[in-house]
Amino acid sequence: MEEFDHEVDAPRGATSREWEVFVREDTADPLTHVGSVSAPSTDIAREQASSLFARTAVTLWLCPADETQRYQTDDATLGTGNTGDDATMSVDEMESETLRGENR
Amino acid sequence: MISVSKLLCDLDAEGDGLRYDAADESTKRQIRDEKQRRPVVVWNVTKQCNLYCDHCYAAADTEIADGELSTAEGKALLDDLADYGAPVVLFSGGEPLVRQDLEELVAYANEVGVRPVLSTNGTLITEERAQSLKDAGLKYAGVSVDGLPERNDDFRGVDGAFEGAVQGIENCLDAGLKTGLRYTITERNAADLEGVVDLLTDVGVDRFCFYHLDYGGRGTEIVDADLTPEDRRQAVKRVCDMTREYHDRGEEIETLLVGNYADAAYLVEYAREHMSEAQAQRVYEYLRVNGGDPTGERVADVDYQGNVHLTQFWQGYSLGNVRDRSFGAIWEDESNPLLSALRNREEHLTGKCADCRYAEVCRGASRLRALTVEDDLFAPDPQCYLEETEIHGSPPFDTGENSVASGSSAD
Ligand code: SF4
Repeated sequence: MEEFDHEVDAPRGATSREWEVFVREDTADPLTHVGSVSAPSTDIAREQASSLFARTAVTLWLCPADETQRYQTDDATLGTGNTGDDATMSVDEMESETLRGENR
Repeated sequence: MISVSKLLCDLDAEGDGLRYDAADESTKRQIRDEKQRRPVVVWNVTKQCNLYCDHCYAAADTEIADGELSTAEGKALLDDLADYGAPVVLFSGGEPLVRQDLEELVAYANEVGVRPVLSTNGTLITEERAQSLKDAGLKYAGVSVDGLPERNDDFRGVDGAFEGAVQGIENCLDAGLKTGLRYTITERNAADLEGVVDLLTDVGVDRFCFYHLDYGGRGTEIVDADLTPEDRRQAVKRVCDMTREYHDRGEEIETLLVGNYADAAYLVEYAREHMSEAQAQRVYEYLRVNGGDPTGERVADVDYQGNVHLTQFWQGYSLGNVRDRSFGAIWEDESNPLLSALRNREEHLTGKCADCRYAEVCRGASRLRALTVEDDLFAPDPQCYLEETEIHGSPPFDTGENSVASGSSAD
């Protein structure tokens, strides 16, 4: 049996809190993961998920992405690179590097 | 992405290779019928930005955000995109140049066979970075300018941003990098459109992409600042007129419209009214093969945390995350009812789109705008500016098999 010894724990929610969305299209169907929505609260997450899935779904589950523990066998992901390696400019660097047409 | 210059002026310029279309342009009836077409992938490599634009769909910030894909993960993503057959990766942000490993990622994309292009605000493109991006194999830089200096700087929240962007453009051109303009048309800047084109053609720019505002990210706050349908129609007409005037003078600028496929319908009407019936038919044929709005099919977006979106503007919903499974697996998974409905949207469109005679070349335009404004995924695009009389009736032309092919998508 495979061990789920690789945890995928990088933060999600590019613009606000992220909610994993699960729907069932018929009471006889299994619950299916259908992606996630960004929303600051449960109510707004429900509204957003409804506007996308209420047409076809009979059941909606919302699960905060930051409360979700994710494990998988390690060969399934992008690799084990550290997230957020320090490749990005600091605020000061951005400020000093920004062109404002000085030498034109 | 609709090439006005090509459709109205028969432009067959170098730009065709920049249409981000891996498919052979001469292949007849490719794409839509095959459903095989792989998407152009926009990758927001960072959320961070040195400017603070009103309409930023990515709601970018000056601070580094958590969970950005690392260099190693980014390369794994590019491998993943190459395996899936994505023809083009558009490095975007935030401002992609705040990532100091951008050149490394561009070079890697090139190495694995995914054409690297860039969307930037231009203000971080120093001479050195223009050269290093060129050396890394970058194929195209699209620089955003949204009005003449005063208006642009106001929009972008930084004094000197216009001059900085022009300086960045000059640095790109000096380095031999193909460079074009991105201009998002709104009520506030529509008046500056011709002025900006005149100014930038003097600098040496010959490719201009005009974006309609989509209602994602910070953009939702300025839905009210968007053009009315009448003003939009006027603005698009001016793009058409201006393109033809330039060409008549022998200046072969390339102009493109992005983000509202009602433009496709309008271009047919424009050709009919201002050119000839034969030209209108040719335009229609071309656009019919192009296939209308590409959301969820010919464009895709991966954000800085690896979330996969239907377009770069639709950041509020994610299909899945590339840290969980491959991009191809996510994109192919039509067990997702939303994805499959979008791909078969003709069956679901309501209101005037349901029996619009131009539905084949438009496909209801932006589903995101319909959702944002009408709270209905399949309602007509609120930005549609066609007149009732243009919408109704039988298809505008009998369509034959001898079509010409067009390309897609974002830059
Ligand atoms: S009515 Fe709908 S399908 Fe027709 S042009 Fe307008 S948005 Fe496109």
